[in-house]
Amino acid sequence: MSDRGIPRREFVKSAVAIGGASALAACLDRGSPDIPTGTTNGGSLPERQHAWNDVLSTDDAGNPVAPRHRVLLLLDYTGDVPTSDDRETVENALRSLERAYEWSDDGLLFTLSYSRAYFDRFDAGPEGVDLQRPEALASFENPELDTPDAVLHLASDHGSAVLAAEEAVRGNADSANGVDTTGFGDVFDVVDRRTGFVGAGLPAENDDVDGVPSGEVSEDAPLYMGFKSGFKGNQASEDSVTIQSGPFADGSTQHVSNIELNVDQWYEQDSRYQRVSKMFCPAHADDGLVEGVGNNLGQSSAMGHCEAPEKAARNSGVVGHSQKMTTVRDESNSPLILRRDFDSTDGGHAGLHFVCLQRGIGEFVKTREAMNGSDLSENSAVGQRNNNGILQYMNVTNRGNYLLPPRSARALPTPTGVPE
Amino acid sequence: MNRRRFLEAAGASSVAGLAGCLDALGFKERSAYAPPLVENRPDAVYYPTHVEAMTVRQIATDGPYKCAFTYTYPHRFWLVTGDRTNKVSIQPDDSIHAMPIVWHEETGVVPPNANPTIELRHDGEALPSNSPWPMLSQPMGVHFGDNISLPENGTYTGTVTASFTGTKRTGALADAPDRASFDLDFTFLKERRDGLQYRKLDNAGDAGAVEPMTMKKLPNTALPESLPGESVGEKKSGDAVVDVRRIADATRFGGRESETYLAVSLRTPYNRYPLPLTSVSATVDAGGDTAFDGPLTATLDPDLGYHYGASLAADDWSTVEVQFGAPPQIARHEGYETAFLDMPAVSISP
Repeated sequence: MSDRGIPRREFVKSAVAIGGASALAACLDRGSPDIPTGTTNGGSLPERQHAWNDVLSTDDAGNPVAPRHRVLLLLDYTGDVPTSDDRETVENALRSLERAYEWSDDGLLFTLSYSRAYFDRFDAGPEGVDLQRPEALASFENPELDTPDAVLHLASDHGSAVLAAEEAVRGNADSANGVDTTGFGDVFDVVDRRTGFVGAGLPAENDDVDGVPSGEVSEDAPLYMGFKSGFKGNQASEDSVTIQSGPFADGSTQHVSNIELNVDQWYEQDSRYQRVSKMFCPAHADDGLVEGVGNNLGQSSAMGHCEAPEKAARNSGVVGHSQKMTTVRDESNSPLILRRDFDSTDGGHAGLHFVCLQRGIGEFVKTREAMNGSDLSENSAVGQRNNNGILQYMNVTNRGNYLLPPRSARALPTPTGVPE
Repeated sequence: MNRRRFLEAAGASSVAGLAGCLDALGFKERSAYAPPLVENRPDAVYYPTHVEAMTVRQIATDGPYKCAFTYTYPHRFWLVTGDRTNKVSIQPDDSIHAMPIVWHEETGVVPPNANPTIELRHDGEALPSNSPWPMLSQPMGVHFGDNISLPENGTYTGTVTASFTGTKRTGALADAPDRASFDLDFTFLKERRDGLQYRKLDNAGDAGAVEPMTMKKLPNTALPESLPGESVGEKKSGDAVVDVRRIADATRFGGRESETYLAVSLRTPYNRYPLPLTSVSATVDAGGDTAFDGPLTATLDPDLGYHYGASLAADDWSTVEVQFGAPPQIARHEGYETAFLDMPAVSISP
C-alpha cells in the first residue's frame, strides 16, 4: 500500500477503521510511537472499569479530553454457562493488556460490559442493577436492538495501541507494545466491530464519507456537528454513575447506540444562527455567545443564559439540544449520564457511536425522553424533529444496553458477581 | 383552471422541457432551475418566478396511510427559525427535489409534523438517509421536501417511515397507528426529470398565489371551504388568515360536552393551506371576565384539518385576541418566504 503524501495521523485513523494485522503492521511501519507499558500489579488499578477521568488529559478549560481512537468489539460467548476456565482466559487476556499498556489515554483504556441477553442463561438479571433490555426510544426511530453477550470498548490516543490490543484479544498476535499477551481464545466470537474517533481535527480529516459535506467541518471540532462536546458541567461525574451497592458496586451501566448522521443539511442548508440555536439555544445565537466550535465557553455551555425549553419553544420556535438536556438533572443538579461517545466512518457513512454511562439504564431513557422534546412539539411551533434540537440530523440504527461490572467481576459474571 | 390544465393550455411556446435547452446554453444542473428572484418582494404572499410540474413515481400503502413518492427539479427554499429565514440554494450534486407525500386516506389529511425519513438503496449500496423538511409551496401546500443527490439513472429501492405522534389528533386520525412504513421501488431517469414542464410566470412578484394543483391520486391539502362550527370573525396577520371559530360541545376535542371549543384556523390567503408549526395563544374575554388565557394546542382533526384549539367553559365571548409567539416554522417555497413572519396579535369581537 502506497502511503505517499498521506499525513501520518490520517493514516493511523484509517487503519483503525480497517483493522487487522496488516493495518497494524502498516501503521507501525510508519514509526511506532513511544507508548508507556503498564503494570504487573493489577491490584493497583481502580476497581471501577470506567475510572478514566483521573488519567485523561485535560484541555485549557479543565475539561477531560476523550481518548481519540476507539474500537467496540461486540462479542458472543461461545459456551453455555460460563466455566472457571473461560473466566480465567478472559481475565488473563485483560490483565495482559494492562501489562502491555499504561492505564491512560497515552496507553490504553478499556471496559468489558455484558448485555441483559447474556444474563438470560442464568434466568436472572444482574442483582441490584437497572439493566433494561434495549428498545426504540422515539416514535420516529426503528433501531435494531443489539443483543451481543458482551462489548469490549478499547480507547487510546494512539490508533496503533487500539489496533494492537484488538489483535491481542482476538489471538491474532501474542504481544502488544513489546509485552507478551494472551487472547480470548475460543471463549468469544466477534459478532460486530465498530470503530471511530473523537477530538479536534479528526472529524475534519474524516469528511470523505456519505452524510457529511467535504471541507465544512471545522479543524477545531471534536465531532462532526462542529461544536465542542463533553463540557465538564454537562457531564455526570464518575461517582454519580457508579452503582453503590450489591455485587456490582463500583460498576455502572452503559448504553451503546449507533446513530447515522446526516449533516449535509446541517452544513449546506442551515445557517450558523440555526446551528447555534439548535445545538445550544436561541439566546446563544441571538447574543453571539459561541465562538467557533465553542471552546470559549470554558467548562459549561452557559445554559444559565438560555430560557427554559418551553419558553424558547413558544417564543422562538426553536429549542436547543443542550437546552433540553438541562431538564434532566439529579438532586445535586448534575446531569444523569456520562458521555463517552465518538464519531465514525463505519459503512462509509458519517455516524456517531453514542456510548454513555449512568447508574441505571432508566436514567439514560429519561435523558433521551427529554431530548425527544415531545411535550414541546405538541405545545409549540417546535416540530417533532423540526427546530427540535438536533433530532433532524440523526437516524438511530442500533441500540444496546449493558452492565459494566467492577474490575473484579469483569470476566463472565453471574447475576451475583463472579464466583470465588 | 387547475394547474395541470393550465400547463397543458400554455402550449409549447411557453412550456419547455429543460432537456436540450440546458446543454445548448451550456448550463450545468445547477442554477438553471431557478431564475433570479424578483426584486422588491412584498412582505406578503406573491406569485413566484416560475412553476414546475412534478412526477409521481409510486404510491404505497401502510394501513390507513398512503405515501406518494414524487419529485421535481431541485428547488431553492427557505428554512425558518424564529422569525428568520435562511435561503437554501441548489447544490451542484442535487438531482431532484424529493417529496414523499404522506396522508391519511380516509380523511385526506396530510399530517404536517410527520417528518418522514427516506432510506434508499441503489446498486447494492445504501445512500445516506434523508429527512425532508416540512414545507409549504403554492401548487402543493403542505408537503415534505429536500434536494437530494441520486448517483445515476436506475432503480432505487428503500423505505419511507413516518411518525404521527408530534401533534394531537382527533377522530379517525387519533384511531390511526402512530407510525407508518412504506416500501419504495422506483426508477430515476434524468431524462424524465428534464422533461418535466417548467414555466416562467409573467406576473412574478405580484400579490397572489398560483392555484393549488389537483392530481387525481394525491390529496388536496387546502382546507375545505366549509369548516365546522361558527366563524366568530376573521382577520389577517402577516398576510395569514386568522379564522376564529366556535364549536359547541368540545367532547370530540378532549373537552366536556358543556364546554365550547375555540378553534383558530390559521391559513394562507388564496389557497387556504393550513399554517402549521406555529406558537398560537389566545386571550378570551367573556362578559368582562377572562375566560381563557394561554397557548392553543395544535390539533389535526378530520373536519377542521390542522388548527389550534382549546376547550372553554364560557361561550359568550366578547373579544378573542389571538397572539403568535413564533410564526409558522415550516420551510417555504418561493412566494411564501416573505409572508407569515412578522405576525402581530389580532383582536376579534364577535
